[in-house]
Amino acid sequence: MSHEAPRVGIVLVSHSVRLAEGAADLAGQVSGGTVRVLAAGGTDDGELGTSADKVAEAVAGAEAGAGVLVLPDLGSAVLTVRAMLADMPGARVVLADAPFVEGAVAATVTAAAGADLKAVATAAEEAWHARKL
Amino acid sequence: MPASSESITLDGDLHARPAGALAVAAGKFAATVTVSVGGKTVDAKSVLGVMGLGATSGQQVTVSADGPDAAEAVAALIAIIGEATRVGG
Repeated sequence: MSHEAPRVGIVLVSHSVRLAEGAADLAGQVSGGTVRVLAAGGTDDGELGTSADKVAEAVAGAEAGAGVLVLPDLGSAVLTVRAMLADMPGARVVLADAPFVEGAVAATVTAAAGADLKAVATAAEEAWHARKL
Repeated sequence: MPASSESITLDGDLHARPAGALAVAAGKFAATVTVSVGGKTVDAKSVLGVMGLGATSGQQVTVSADGPDAAEAVAALIAIIGEATRVGG
């Protein structure tokens, strides 16, 4: 597997600016910093909520040529992401149904190893089964 | 399919960053790779699985691989475990 191949990008959509940024920081550090992990947290004015513009900007920034996996923190972020995706036909974007922190870490590490978008999405969704104890 | 296995004693706890480095490296090999500690065995390519081992300093870790690049995978992961757990994180 070539080390020059583009990695799948990750977008973390949270209702909270700091939750999105913290999760992106954690996933980036655990995976060694080779993957574009972008935070899209809060509303346009930084309040609790989600912003389609912030998500669209993060998706564009995370796209390195291998597609983008979007992880929402709570179900209500899904509406924003789906509306944004409807405005981006042809974008190689997959919305993952996964626990936020575990999914972000698993997806980013899998992307860092060079896996494709489908495998990165699977890694995120398999995080439902990971036990801490 | 060639199989390979090697053990190492941890110099430090297997925290998040070493677990991440291990899983990223394992994911680059075609072989199936497992990590075993104290009777628990997980897929080395699953960072959450490796973190869930809760492996601590002084414990013996065994890396096993099965596949075309099994020997290379085991050597690479043993080296990462040796280095990463000394740094901590």
